[in-house]
Parts: sequence; structure tokens; C-alpha cells
Amino acid sequence: MVKNITIFTTNTCAYCAMVKKFLDMKNHQYDVVNLDEQPERQAEALALSGALTVPITVVTKHDDTKQVVVGYNLAKLAPAVA
Amino acid sequence: MVDSDNKQIHDVIMIGAGPAALAAAIYTTREDIDTLLFERGVVGGLAAITDMVDNYPGFPDGIEGLTLAENLRKQAERFGANIELGEVTKIADEGKLKKLETTSGDMYAKAVLIATGSDYKKIGVPGEQEYYAHGVHYCATCDGAFYRDKRLVVVGGGNSAFQEAMFLTRFASHIDLLVRSTAKASDVLQHDMQKFVDSGKVTIHLGTTTDEIVGEENHVTKVIGTQDGKQIEFPTDGVFVFVGLKPNTQFLEGSSIELDEIGFIKTNVHLETSMKGVFAAGDVRSGATMQIASAAGEGATAALIIREYLEGKLAPQSETLEEVAPAPVV
Repeated sequence: MVKNITIFTTNTCAYCAMVKKFLDMKNHQYDVVNLDEQPERQAEALALSGALTVPITVVTKHDDTKQVVVGYNLAKLAPAVA
Repeated sequence: MVDSDNKQIHDVIMIGAGPAALAAAIYTTREDIDTLLFERGVVGGLAAITDMVDNYPGFPDGIEGLTLAENLRKQAERFGANIELGEVTKIADEGKLKKLETTSGDMYAKAVLIATGSDYKKIGVPGEQEYYAHGVHYCATCDGAFYRDKRLVVVGGGNSAFQEAMFLTRFASHIDLLVRSTAKASDVLQHDMQKFVDSGKVTIHLGTTTDEIVGEENHVTKVIGTQDGKQIEFPTDGVFVFVGLKPNTQFLEGSSIELDEIGFIKTNVHLETSMKGVFAAGDVRSGATMQIASAAGEGATAALIIREYLEGKLAPQSETLEEVAPAPVV
């Protein structure tokens, strides 16, 4: 079960919009960290994902385990939030 | 519609949801033609990940690619277009119906429009794959923000390379633009680029190949290139690659839909492929001009032709498939 979801995005990232669209379709709530507005959190995004890219979606389950999905990857995102 | 065999049948299934398919969907849905679009990537296609679109008619000051894509999507959905996030993996001709194997199960359509567009090519040099998303990128609008006050290399000499390099100047301290031969970007873009060259923000290296991307501990440190037979090293924190386009037609391998030698879909003057009832429009079509305006225009044309096809009014297709732009439909 999903406890919460955080998406790291930028203003101009079309793939980020797709992640939001998918989560909206599945009626999931999520928090957004916009790295254009909060560049100080880039290091956090990098530490979580190991990648210099957005979107990064962090799915925290009820047992507090985290699943990190890098990019717009439905094959990984769909099961992560199921 | 669901038939007696429990098949989900649509009037039209459009594969892709870029400008060509969205324009086509605006036309078909306005005429109450049941239309389903499948998109495996970004709605709006490459247009959505383009920083700024300056040559789409109707926007005198240009428009952000993402905004244009969103507007096209909203317009298509306003008339009833249904966009499904998923992938079509195979098309089979079952006579009057086309069977599409998809990640959402099998679907059937009376007509199909393939508008899967194209994606950026890779260079194919050592280090490119290894450092993907760790310093090697193909989407400036997605990943440029990670390079504030850093040095970058941009590879490519066409419109995309120049456009995206200029976008990246808002973040990077300096950009080396590596152009294999001569600059192919439009005169307008080359003119716009000149002010960044004059300010020292961008250095253009013509006749320079990109041979290797080198890094250490999971990040890129330099690009090795060759100019005039001499090896040159470009110290950098990241590399953005825009070296041309390849058609998204891998899912058609093994089908009876004829492709040209590069992999673009051949069509006749009705934009119809070698599989009756299956049409193609936009960047994926052989002979396409790779322009958003052209893709939208082809999408509209394809929609009108598909309407004729569904009504049984389309003339029999030519034996010969063309690799040129279609004739206009009145």
C-alpha cells in the first residue's frame, strides 16, 4: 500500500507532466518538488535516484520502504503505485 | 463498441499522441468518429520536450513546446478523444478490422493511423550508454537544470542542437557545441546563436567528431573528439546529444507494413500504408519534413481521408507507395 508519493520535477519537463497525468488517472495524491524553484534539493534527488534527470518519483509504502522510479517509465511506475 | 465476440472495436485507433495524431483526433472526434489514441511516451511527442517552437503558425512570439502540446491535447480531449497511456506492440490485418496487440490487451479498429513520430538518435560512441542520465542526456528541458554554472558539451549541428544549446545557456557556464561537419541549423537559429558565441558562452567546433565520452565515479569528466585529424579533449560536466532522428517503427518489424530503407513508413497519395485501412502521418512517414506544422497538417489530412475510408468512399489504393509528400485533399 502506498503511504505517499513525491515527484521531483522541473518547470519544462514534459515527462514530469506525464507522471502527474498517470498518477492523476490512478487517483493518487502526490507532493511535487520543483527543482527550478528549489535547486538546493538537487543533491537529494541525486542521492535518491543516482541519476541527474527528472522526473524522479519516490513511492513510500506503509512499511516506510521506498521505491524510486527514474524517468517516465510506466512499466516500473504502475506496479510501484499499485 | 463491443461485438458479439467481446472484441473492443473502435472506428479509429491512433498510435501515438504527438501533433499529427492530436490534430487528426481533433478532426475525427468533431465528427463523432470513435477515436482512441495510444501513447507510450509523452503526449505531444518531441514537440513537448522542445524548449521553444518559433515556427508554428499562429504564435507570433513563439510558444513553449510543452504548452503547445498541452493545448493540442486539451483541444482533442474537448471533442472526445480518449488518450490511453500504453504501447501498441503489433498490428495484424484481419480484413475489415485491424487487430492491435497492446499493453492494455487486444484492441480492434476499422482504421488505424500510425503517428508514432521519431526519437533522437544516439551517437554510438564509448561512454554514451554507460553514462546515460549520469552526464549523458537527450532532453535539455528535462535535465538542463542539473547543470547550473557547469560546463556542457552539446553534440549536433541541426536545428535541435542549436535550439537546445541556446536553452541550456540559461544554466551552463559554457557550452562547447561539437558539429561533425557544417552547421545545418536554419539561418534564423544560427543568427540567434551568434550572440551566445559573441559573448563567449558558446564555442562552436565545426568539423569535429565526437569519439568518446569519458568519466569517473559515475559522472562525466570530458569528451574526446577529433578535428583536422587531431585529437581534442573537451572538459565537461555533461553531454547533451541531438544528432538527428530515427523513426519509431520498431513495433512494425515483421508486419506487412512497408518501410523505406531507413525505417520510415511508405505511404501512397492517400497517406495509406501497404496495409489497407492503416494510414501514417507526421514524422514517422517517409518523406515527412519533420516540422510540427507539417505533422499537424498531415494529421488533419489523414483524418479526412480516414473519414472517406470509413464511409467506403476512398478510391482503391495505388500499387506504388510514394516517398513524397501527399497531394492535398479538398
